[in-house]
Amino acid sequence: MTTQPWTVSDLQGSPRRQRRETAIRRLVFAATVTSVLVSGLILYSLAFEAITFMREVDWSTTWGQLGWFPRRGIFDLPTIMVATVSVTVIAMAVAGPLGLAAAIYLSEYAPSRVRTVLKPTLEVMAGIPSVVLGYFALRFIAPQLVGNLFSTAAPANLLAAGVGVGLLIIPLMASLSEDALTAVPHSLRQASAGLGARKVTTTTNVVIPAAVSGLTAAGIVAASRAVGETMVVFIAGGAADSVIKSYNPLDPGMTMTAAMASVASGTDSIAGQGQAFQSLFFVGLLLFIMTMLLNVLADKFVRRFRQRY
Amino acid sequence: MAKKVRTYRQVLSLALVLVVSAAACGGGGDALGDSEAAGDEIVISGSSTVEPISVAVAESFRDINPNVQVAVSGPGTGDGFKLFCEGETDISDASRQIKDEEKVNCEANGISYVELKVGVDGIAVITSSENQALSCLSFADLYALVGPESTGFGSWAEAQGLATELGSSFAFEDSDLVISAPGTESGTYDSFIEIVLEDLADERGHEATTRPDYSSAADDNVIIETVAINPTSFGWVGFAFADHAEGTKLVDISVDPDGDCVAATAETIASNEYPISRDLFIYVNTDNAASKAGLVEFVDHYMGFGLDEAVANVGYVILDDGNREATRSAWSNR
Amino acid sequence: MASPSVRKRLPATTFNLTRRMDVKGRVFEVALLMAVAVTLGAVAALISQVFFDAWPVLSGRFGQFLTSGLGSRPEISGIAQGLRGTLYLCFIVAVVAFPLGIGSAIYLEQYAKPGRLTRFVDLNIRNLAGVPSVVYGILGLTVFVKGPFVGAITGGRTPLAAGLTLSALVLPLVIIASVEAIRSVPQELIEAGYGVGATQSEVIRHHVLPYAIPGILTGTLLSMARAAGEAAPLILVGTTTGFLTNIPAWWDVGQVRERFTAMPIIITSWVRQPETGFKVEGAAAAIIVLMLVVVMLNSVAIVLRSRFEKRRQG
Repeated sequence: MTTQPWTVSDLQGSPRRQRRETAIRRLVFAATVTSVLVSGLILYSLAFEAITFMREVDWSTTWGQLGWFPRRGIFDLPTIMVATVSVTVIAMAVAGPLGLAAAIYLSEYAPSRVRTVLKPTLEVMAGIPSVVLGYFALRFIAPQLVGNLFSTAAPANLLAAGVGVGLLIIPLMASLSEDALTAVPHSLRQASAGLGARKVTTTTNVVIPAAVSGLTAAGIVAASRAVGETMVVFIAGGAADSVIKSYNPLDPGMTMTAAMASVASGTDSIAGQGQAFQSLFFVGLLLFIMTMLLNVLADKFVRRFRQRY
Repeated sequence: MAKKVRTYRQVLSLALVLVVSAAACGGGGDALGDSEAAGDEIVISGSSTVEPISVAVAESFRDINPNVQVAVSGPGTGDGFKLFCEGETDISDASRQIKDEEKVNCEANGISYVELKVGVDGIAVITSSENQALSCLSFADLYALVGPESTGFGSWAEAQGLATELGSSFAFEDSDLVISAPGTESGTYDSFIEIVLEDLADERGHEATTRPDYSSAADDNVIIETVAINPTSFGWVGFAFADHAEGTKLVDISVDPDGDCVAATAETIASNEYPISRDLFIYVNTDNAASKAGLVEFVDHYMGFGLDEAVANVGYVILDDGNREATRSAWSNR
Repeated sequence: MASPSVRKRLPATTFNLTRRMDVKGRVFEVALLMAVAVTLGAVAALISQVFFDAWPVLSGRFGQFLTSGLGSRPEISGIAQGLRGTLYLCFIVAVVAFPLGIGSAIYLEQYAKPGRLTRFVDLNIRNLAGVPSVVYGILGLTVFVKGPFVGAITGGRTPLAAGLTLSALVLPLVIIASVEAIRSVPQELIEAGYGVGATQSEVIRHHVLPYAIPGILTGTLLSMARAAGEAAPLILVGTTTGFLTNIPAWWDVGQVRERFTAMPIIITSWVRQPETGFKVEGAAAAIIVLMLVVVMLNSVAIVLRSRFEKRRQG
């Protein structure tokens, strides 16, 4: 038995164990790199063809035209961008109040038995695929809700699609808002009660203002999701390959996302050159920038809200 | 030791959950054991008008030779030729003949093909079945509604001036003009221009094209759907589609404003009485035919069952005997 | 931060010291309840509409519906090919996104030194989670279908390419869920492991992962459910919307490199047909099958998560 002094390497285990450690460390690092790689590839995929489009397109066709007719070389951007904004506004008008109300109810009022049923229900609702909402918007919302209220509405229109998107994002809005509300320290509520406030006063004057950054972040994230939603508008928005410009949500319309899906599906498996196909990448780039800005904005609000507690 | 057991149990339950969910993702349904997908693959693309014929032939061919996999899609005659001339498809469906620039493209890529006429189709002009105001239109009316000079017309009445100028006596109503029709990728679009609009456009010194501002759709079913649900709609689509559809009404057509109005039926199309009719074709890549036995078998079936029955089953007009023989010999002499 | 389930909720009447009728409070509460009712009512309307529309298929020919392929007439059409496509897509997502997601989470939580690089990766992941699914479709088309090297491996417009695209889509979600799960492992447990001389990977393997597995699984299942329901990326990647004769056997793995279709695509294309047999009955029946899959995955995930939360508190 040796009586040499122990060194650090004796305590660190056998070289084989060490090698395994390094190997595993490298492996998980490589896994992490893939997420950065995905980002890079997304930018590359968009930029490449989008830049070609931007270099070759006649920019007069992107403004002040009759509508979005990609196959005829008419790429009127306001047509599809206004449609995206309309759908988002309509969706938030639906999901904002309903989602927020559900969140307030869950966080402040619901008895725990109701809560254990309601919360999972909302989560299951969150899992409903967008094609299903698109079907519902086309089959029910468009004829029964919109058609009955507005007789001038087209059979499939942006209003119905917007309501469908709104239903789709209610669970998201509710769950993010609820997180914001439950993050408000209970001490604030108790202090308010201690001053004699009623529950409704506490909720509206203390809890909600305290959670405002988180609620705003929730709204922005939900709006971002509405901006990026494709299938509901593709199915229920009423336009196929091209659309005439209209600022009326009762007319058929095509958002940026639906326009991309149309170009991609109209030419089922096209070998894919041609300006119409490149417009897909350009619109995708615009969309990517829009959602990125929204997400960064939401992040700023979340950062502010986290710092308070 | 207990820890190790717990870890194994976790891993096992994890694996079990993954397998169950993978199976769940597939849902119910038993395995269809027989088709092995070991055989050839045939890719057919092109005209959405001819697509139903090819689908019918492919369905019946599945009973003859289930090992050959057939994929059919219908993005439009123009798109179909683009794919065909890049060698991506074996058969190109077309509701018009190949254009010169497409021929050049095929030659440049070394694609040799054989042109096979398979049937005759009419182009039906359709409106909603609720539209009582309309039963017959002339070429002049059609030009006034959708020709190159009609950009911006939002209601039927706006086309009145132009129609009267061209000699029509039809009184258009003042209602919304909602147009749904094929787009530029479609052979039906090309045929419509060639037959209905071209002469009038040339006379008046305009480009032979349609107005750009309408809702175009490559999918004929979408066109039918849109026309059916808008009460004062207008569109044109392959006759077979319109004939089968619910909710749409076919409009009689007269060539001249005071001419006879001819309804679109199988008989009037076959006898050429109905003025808007065109031939349907398939183009087969002959090099692929030389190397894929499955492709030859398929086209043989097309020449038999396809020409004799499928065309009519789908609603188009079968070629007369002379033309059918001509097509069959074109195929055997490729 | 006290969690609501732990704290005792003060009843509304506690605050009403004057015992006057609290009109504003009542109205507010009723308004909230009505909003919740409207939301639940919408979901109920959706489910009943779908079942009502699908009834002819469900009661008449459901077996045939599940085993037939796409056809020219509604009466002979079924979703067998869609089921196979969706199955293989889910499988590929599980196989690709799950290890990559867990690996990233392990690195970020256990190995990475806090610093600018780590914050950048974190920000990047959160951004990716908010990117619209169509944009992932563009990624898939450019890299996995038409990409110079990868395109040859995937074989073009195949389940393999689509599966990789969907994996990229759900990767941020898996990472975020796994990070949450790993963060919840008590620090004492980890330090105890180091204390008895375990290496970092041993601590992870024997202490962190077993504890975090339910949470990680929840995230994975939710991601698979999400991937099963996505249609937009599939459209971009070129999933067949037309007609396919072939119905491969379930175990025929070769189909990952052949033309395919999937449930959400079938639904989308049938909804746009004029025949009610496709547009209403067929699409609704296909939706029911898809929802069964998605709801089942989600429910298992939720149950797992509540077990995970109970363990955390216990």
